[in-house]
Amino acid sequence: MRHAVHLVGVVVVLLTLAMPRAVRAEDVETLRRQLDTMQRELEAATKRYERQIQELGERLRQLESRPAPPSVAAPPAPAAPATATPPTAATVATPAGTSPAAGADTPSLAQILTPRQPFALAQPGRTLLFDIGVSGDFVADFTSAERERHRDGTFAGRENRLFPREVSVGFFGRVDPYASAVVRITAGEETPPPGERSRGDFEVAVEEANVTLLALPLGTTARLGRMRPRFGTLNPVHQDDLPQVDRPQVLTRFFGEEQLDAEDGIDAFWILPLPVYEEISIGVFNGDNETAFGRGTLRDPLVLGRLRTFFEGEDWGGLQIDLSAGTGATDDARRNTVAGVGVKYKWAPLTGFPLMTLAGEAIYGHRAADRWGYYVYAQYDWTRRWAAGLRWDWTEVPRLNGYEWAISPYVQFKPSEFLRFRVQYKHTEGTRDLARAIDELFLQGSFILGAHPTERF
Amino acid sequence: MAPRLRALGLLAAIVALGVTALAGAADPPRMRVVATLPDLWSLTRAVAGDLVTVDVATRFGQNPHDLEIRPSQTLLIRRADVLVRNGLEEDAWIDPVVEGAGNPRLLRGSPSVIEASRGIRVLRVATGPVDRSMGDVHPMGNPHYTLDPANIPLVTANIVEGLTRVAPELGARLEEQRQNFLDTLAPAERRWRETLAPYRGARIVSYHDSWPYFYQAYGFVDGGVIEDRPGVPASPQHVAALVRRMREQGVKVVLLENWYLPDTANLVARQAGARVLALPQSPGAVKGTQDYIAHMDHLVRALAEALR
Repeated sequence: MRHAVHLVGVVVVLLTLAMPRAVRAEDVETLRRQLDTMQRELEAATKRYERQIQELGERLRQLESRPAPPSVAAPPAPAAPATATPPTAATVATPAGTSPAAGADTPSLAQILTPRQPFALAQPGRTLLFDIGVSGDFVADFTSAERERHRDGTFAGRENRLFPREVSVGFFGRVDPYASAVVRITAGEETPPPGERSRGDFEVAVEEANVTLLALPLGTTARLGRMRPRFGTLNPVHQDDLPQVDRPQVLTRFFGEEQLDAEDGIDAFWILPLPVYEEISIGVFNGDNETAFGRGTLRDPLVLGRLRTFFEGEDWGGLQIDLSAGTGATDDARRNTVAGVGVKYKWAPLTGFPLMTLAGEAIYGHRAADRWGYYVYAQYDWTRRWAAGLRWDWTEVPRLNGYEWAISPYVQFKPSEFLRFRVQYKHTEGTRDLARAIDELFLQGSFILGAHPTERF
Repeated sequence: MAPRLRALGLLAAIVALGVTALAGAADPPRMRVVATLPDLWSLTRAVAGDLVTVDVATRFGQNPHDLEIRPSQTLLIRRADVLVRNGLEEDAWIDPVVEGAGNPRLLRGSPSVIEASRGIRVLRVATGPVDRSMGDVHPMGNPHYTLDPANIPLVTANIVEGLTRVAPELGARLEEQRQNFLDTLAPAERRWRETLAPYRGARIVSYHDSWPYFYQAYGFVDGGVIEDRPGVPASPQHVAALVRRMREQGVKVVLLENWYLPDTANLVARQAGARVLALPQSPGAVKGTQDYIAHMDHLVRALAEALR
């Protein structure tokens, strides 16, 4: 308070000295009134700040005097009084960039087109680094000696071997307030050329390296770099996260063992402003997938689009439907067009288990001729640890005649969220160009070290 | 007569539409708040009342620890203006939801995100090296702090402060409603303390380590946890050791968070001569307990009966 009075005095003296004599004479009364007003305002402000400091001090004292956690045998100290004084509307400053509730005002076109104001508040006490996760996925494929000679099993050239299908190191986190990024480097036993047996060579690749832009206008989220594109139900799922040991037959026949992965390009997606969940995404890529496209140039790019919708009921579970389409050029400059529809249904009680999953996906492709195929599977997780399922595959194959079908029962054991084992039997039969019968037994072990992405529907 | 009636009907419809439109124009859309967990939802509703719309990103009675994220949550976040989160990673699954929702206002660190745990004296903060040998541990400490009513003034202060940051014009009313809520909470808290006072010092075993704040509030002693480590089901050796200890210490009650299957808890209780008490750890899992005070009433009453 004394400081405020001194301050007013200094201001008065300075003003007096600086003022021309004539003005001093004419406006002395006005000036005095203004100074009185200033003094009152200053006193009010000083009182306000003193009160706020007192309130904050009180809050700090309450925080410091809260009871310490008791030792095992000690009874707890009495609780803090239920009257902690919070900052009020008057005392809380609005941070720069904070706007009132969205929706209260209709934004103008200029506001919509302006990139949204990001924020730059770090969390105190937290290290601003990124997460690191390591995953390992090992598969053993047992089959007959004849099939091993023909090298036409599910994991061609790796029959009767235990091989590291994918060991990956993933780095993910926020780049800055505007973006997040993922980098996944994978190593695995090299897929041998058709008809050859694996020599156990390792292949190391950057499977994902992309940045996601989070603060674009119009609710747009965009990814740029190398990624697994949004196409169908299972394409975005990594090898170690598949519902069965192998990818369904239709997906490997149309797109290869790892489906559409490591595509370089850009994609964007939007959640439409509708009462139900509708997500639309579109992506433009080089088209490096050798099985389906392979042209690998932006002069004739691979263009993919997906519409995904989701319904959920309290009692009946969640249902997801996706429609996908894509077109690109093959390495011999022919056009390949693919389309797909996927359905996934899950039901679980509030306890989480038992969990029932029913899902399927159909793919249509037009290359030299029309071809299509599908898979359906059902999985029942009766506890957190144990699950069993059955998958049915039926598919034609682009550029070959005939069709093949397969049936795959499997059992899964998860000691924890980070460790999983599977046993899967698979019987495959085909006709014409695909005529053969194969019986295979797969064993799989997968683990996760460190950070891991949250389970998605 | 008929044409006149039709004309009157048309006029009435136009007037009704006009009135509806005017009424709609007079009510600006309310701020939409999403709380990640039912306890935060309940407390946000207690202080915000009808001033804002409050939704919750999980179902009542759902286990938030191993939650699978769903597009319906993305839709909620897409439309929300403010996000209230636990602050101690119990709801870490909300991060990928927010990043996929195209709503950058709700990304971590934004002024529109409220970390409800700010200022809480956190229990069970992991010290030393933390890895998965400790299970699905919360490195920042036990996140179930709303089970101690003494934390509620701070939690609600954080919520009011965050909402005021986004909508300063609501600040005074939010604070007034918060004070009203705390005035209602104070006698309830005394009642809970009196009800459980005869059982201070009792040892209690739980399925998951959800209750340290509750134990602290009412003077119970942690008699052990059935899960071997967080998220890891009990091994036979762990169960045998726990049962032996429970017998030695005379533990009477096994608390089972009611989203866990009861088999192991029943086995442990049967072998140790105790009884299983299935309790919701968060509001809304039992009919009529969506309100925080009703939820705590339910917990205290059930536990007092079990310990009698």
